[in-house]
Amino acid sequence: MNATIVLGKRSLREAIRQPDALLMTMFIPIFFLVVNTGQAAEIFPSSSTEFLQGQGYGAFQLPITLLLAASFGMASLFLVEEIEGGYFDKLRAMPIPRYSMVLGRLVAEGAKGVVISTVIVLLALPFGITIASGPLGFFLLILLATLWGVVYAGFMQLIALKTRNAAAVNSGGLIFFPLLFLTPNFVPREMLTRPMEIAATLNPVTYLMEALRSLILTDLDWGAVLPGFAVVAGLGAIMLLLNVRMIQSYD
Amino acid sequence: MTDHRVPAVRAEGLVKHFDGKEDAVEAVRGVDLEIQPGEIFGFLGPNGAGKSTTVRMLTTLLSITAGRAEVNGIDVARDPEAVRGRIGVALQEAGLDPRQTGRELLTLHGRLFGLDQAAAEKRTQELLELVELEDAADRVTKGYSGGMQRRLDLAAALVHEPEVLFLDEPTTGLDPASRLTVWEEVRRINGHGTTVFLTTQYLEEADQLCDRLAIIDDGRIVREGTPANLKAELGERLGGTEVTLDDVFLDATGRSRDRAAGEVQEVGA
Repeated sequence: MNATIVLGKRSLREAIRQPDALLMTMFIPIFFLVVNTGQAAEIFPSSSTEFLQGQGYGAFQLPITLLLAASFGMASLFLVEEIEGGYFDKLRAMPIPRYSMVLGRLVAEGAKGVVISTVIVLLALPFGITIASGPLGFFLLILLATLWGVVYAGFMQLIALKTRNAAAVNSGGLIFFPLLFLTPNFVPREMLTRPMEIAATLNPVTYLMEALRSLILTDLDWGAVLPGFAVVAGLGAIMLLLNVRMIQSYD
Repeated sequence: MTDHRVPAVRAEGLVKHFDGKEDAVEAVRGVDLEIQPGEIFGFLGPNGAGKSTTVRMLTTLLSITAGRAEVNGIDVARDPEAVRGRIGVALQEAGLDPRQTGRELLTLHGRLFGLDQAAAEKRTQELLELVELEDAADRVTKGYSGGMQRRLDLAAALVHEPEVLFLDEPTTGLDPASRLTVWEEVRRINGHGTTVFLTTQYLEEADQLCDRLAIIDDGRIVREGTPANLKAELGERLGGTEVTLDDVFLDATGRSRDRAAGEVQEVGA
């Protein structure tokens, strides 16, 4: 665990020294929040739209903003750079547990995720968005968005280890990206067309989004929140297993 | 008198195949090596001969297709973790984290090798002085010159005072002054008892530094011995002519001159 923490601190220093990357991570999702809300708020006025639970349409859009921000990590690109530069081999030649090499970067992604998610939610509050589930809900909201960021970064790291190529990592990100949009991101699932509803139901990200949305729009509803955490736990376990196997067989 | 010391490095029939588009590529085809503790051992060969592949297998970075390798008696394939704790590695590319300062990088390595923070910082200062990088210690390594990167890479490989130090072409691309600095450093490290396994393309470097050397060509070791013995053997075959290590290398690999006359016993598989 010591090696994980040491490598995690290194990755955090790395992130702090690339503030422009952090700003871009937040800029694009906030841009989508503003644009989507601006385009659809008139269609879904809070006074007559039941699924908004009395809030504005921005509150309904906030989950996709948080998930997008959590999916814009740079960890896998830094890893590819390290592989290409030879430093990754230097780390591999050290007597450190292979899982630490995976977890080190993910710990740092988690820390970054907490900061980014918190900043985005705090920026949203002055625009009338409230966290209806209270302080515990706020905590769960940040935790869930952060954990998703860690899991997503882990899958991107897997692509980096497999391909060892920056272009492939970027393309790999595009493969995962549609999963974020095959979700009830504009309206609740029951209002989607039948094919989209089926796709969203099969997509694990839907449950994550519905959990986040529930924390923003309603009182604490464990029935909606727990499936989100279950998705993160399940995908996280698969991600960790695949990463450790990949790094152990890395030649 | 028999030497009962465990060899610092031993390889028996070491083979590495890579999957190619059609056939497997045989990068290393049965290398046998035995390096005694305290030696500076040179590993020479043309580009693509299998030098780096052999080093990567010995340092646990690459799986072994066939044969076996040991470092200080520890099987590289069976207990790679134990081997990693005993070796220092500076690979062909000076692999440094571009976003860390020299000081941060050395301290990080100290921590990863199990030193506590205070001990890691103390060791970092010693190494920075050793490789004369105190003035650049707090700059990120991305801005270092090639020579500075090499020196820092060497220092990073020494953080835990390894028993065996693997240096893969440590002076490639360096100016003459930086090259001499690295040579001095290798001698100094060896003077403290560290076994050094050095690959190089510079024959003068091998002649100056190495107690013994092996020449690998096309994945097989084709000569092995002390520089003096190898030169004497070739000189004798050529009828008493004075020869250099360049001549030995060219004779062994047959790259750009005809092989010297006479029968040559090829070493290894």
